[in-house]
Amino acid sequence: MRTSRRQFLARSAQLGVLLGAGIPLLNACGGDSGGSGEQSTEPIADGLQPEKGPLRIINYADYVNPDVIADFEAKYGVKVEISTIDTDTEAVAKLASGALKVDVHHSMASTSIGNLIKGGLIQPLNRSYLTNRGNVVKAFDDPWYDPGAVYSVPYTFFGTGIGYRADRIDPAEIEAQGWDTLWNATTFKGQVSILDDEREAFTMAMLRKGITDINTLDQAIIDQALADVIELIDLVNVKVNIEGYKDIPEGTTTIAHTWSADLIAGAASYLPEGTSSDVLGFWHPPSEQYVVNNDSMGVLANAENPVLAHLYIDFLLDNAVAEKNFSWVGYLPALTKLDADYVIGAGYVPENLRSCVPTNDDIAKGLKYEALGPEGDAQYEAAWSKFTAGG
Amino acid sequence: MSSPSVVQIDPTGGRPPRTTTWAGFALPGVGWLIAFFVVPVYAVMAVAFGSVDPILRTPQPAWNPLAWDFSAMSSLLDRVFGGDLGKVFIRTFSFVFLALAGCIAIGYPVAYFVARKASRSRSMLLALLVLPFWISYLMRMLAWTNLLQQDGYVNQVLQWFQVMDEPRNWLDGDWPTVVIGLVYGYVPFFILPLYSALERIDGRLIEAGRDLGASSFQTFVRITLPLSVPGLMAASVITILPMFGDYYTNSYLTSGSPRTEMVGNQIEFFLRGSSQPQTGASLVLVLMVFLFVLMVYYLRTTMKAQRESER
Repeated sequence: MRTSRRQFLARSAQLGVLLGAGIPLLNACGGDSGGSGEQSTEPIADGLQPEKGPLRIINYADYVNPDVIADFEAKYGVKVEISTIDTDTEAVAKLASGALKVDVHHSMASTSIGNLIKGGLIQPLNRSYLTNRGNVVKAFDDPWYDPGAVYSVPYTFFGTGIGYRADRIDPAEIEAQGWDTLWNATTFKGQVSILDDEREAFTMAMLRKGITDINTLDQAIIDQALADVIELIDLVNVKVNIEGYKDIPEGTTTIAHTWSADLIAGAASYLPEGTSSDVLGFWHPPSEQYVVNNDSMGVLANAENPVLAHLYIDFLLDNAVAEKNFSWVGYLPALTKLDADYVIGAGYVPENLRSCVPTNDDIAKGLKYEALGPEGDAQYEAAWSKFTAGG
Repeated sequence: MSSPSVVQIDPTGGRPPRTTTWAGFALPGVGWLIAFFVVPVYAVMAVAFGSVDPILRTPQPAWNPLAWDFSAMSSLLDRVFGGDLGKVFIRTFSFVFLALAGCIAIGYPVAYFVARKASRSRSMLLALLVLPFWISYLMRMLAWTNLLQQDGYVNQVLQWFQVMDEPRNWLDGDWPTVVIGLVYGYVPFFILPLYSALERIDGRLIEAGRDLGASSFQTFVRITLPLSVPGLMAASVITILPMFGDYYTNSYLTSGSPRTEMVGNQIEFFLRGSSQPQTGASLVLVLMVFLFVLMVYYLRTTMKAQRESER
């Protein structure tokens, strides 16, 4: 196949960038367009035979049970290949650049799905292949990020709150102080962390001040949230990461702004031998101020194995498969059967961490992150950069 | 007995060498530079001065210089000179130069010993010096996070020697931990080029110094040290250039404390975690300019040292 001069120049640049400036910049330059295309509106036809694979998936590391993958491979006689990403932004960049050929996006952030749809990166799902779709919690039948759930299926869901060591701080104190707990934790200096995510961190600061418009673009409110979060640097020598799932159980962090599922995963996998899960606690605000979020699965518009991709998603919606996956991942699938009573009764979640399982009420009434648009993203990111720079 | 005759062979066959032939030898180097330096830098510039896809927020590089948009660079420079990012640059420079001082303090004696004092054990010592390269840098940093835990071996040893009464929280975002991490991570890169320079010093010069009555210390200060300056400079450059762009040492050893944020961390954020890759690429260019200034200083110093040694 002949290569045009333009293609040659573009590819030379890609090679140079890859070796000289890193993969993120390659993603920037990849493909002829490297940007958004036309929205995909047609799902695949009914009754097609599954392709021979391999099925290619993009996902966070350790965010799906390897045994579940092996089961799927055995059931359909195909290979599954997983490419890992560190951030949602990285996933979008890789997919948009065409640097990766992927069939399933395993963990789309709710704030990205709208853009993935508009940018033509994901295709509408054909529900005739999703025989287990009825298992999904009803609140996700018409989610705020994908009206009618046309393009996505929820994978896991979780809420944002405070994870803590109940053997070091009285749960009643946390209950009484709410988000102020982080600002008051001066006795735990160096053992306090917040999520490495600008939306989450600034939302927490806003909620502390009673502001519930968590999608605000009001620069004054964002600046105030920034100033409040900067206070944490000197007050408690705050750490910024997404490692509460191990740092709290291991004891290096006492109080963490974290996701509910981190405590479940931490109790299952990261407590030192002989340590009871009673040392862990999780607080979240009332439903009306509780941020409930979820990751979703979708099929790429240019998937080479779209039927197999549908079957994979359907496989993960099976109650038994989802339970097996949850037992390893620790993040709750959004399936009706796996509610708090079930997962506690089955021994997956300790009773003292019941608050880590968002209820239907939490999902229905909770606060939701919406996409902010380019200017909004830039506002939040600029503020976050100032915070991480040290204020 | 007559002495054997020596046959002189003229490789040019009597003809003057063709300049173009010799210049041809530079072609692979030039090609390498174009492919792995010029093109990547131009790509970074195209991203820095380009735009972002309004929906997917992916970079839209501006390959045509006439279409370059300098707004991201302009905003960034405002933050670097007088803004919050200025502090990050000062912090990064401080960390790097403290770590360089640590590398000199640890690396010079080691390189000197291996080059000048170790004789039979030299090969083994050199092998030991490169031993850390067998293990991934990230793995070594992860190992340190375990060693530096409150109940880790570092605290246990320091308490056993009664250096401290209470265990110290090394990983809570203090700058000494980052500097120690940088020294640990990069000191092998420092030692090897310095060893090479020290090993090449003509031993007769040192012997002459001793014969003329200089003490060991005077010989070191007046002969060995000045002659090792080019090696010291080369080792410093090889060490500090990657240190300036380092972000994982800080990330691993401080769990992302804003008090130790380095320029590399900001670049990583803008390129991997934000919708403003043009700001990240601009930051890469600004850092390159700073490093270019350092390189010019290095080149001037080595050229001066070379001139003096040729006198």
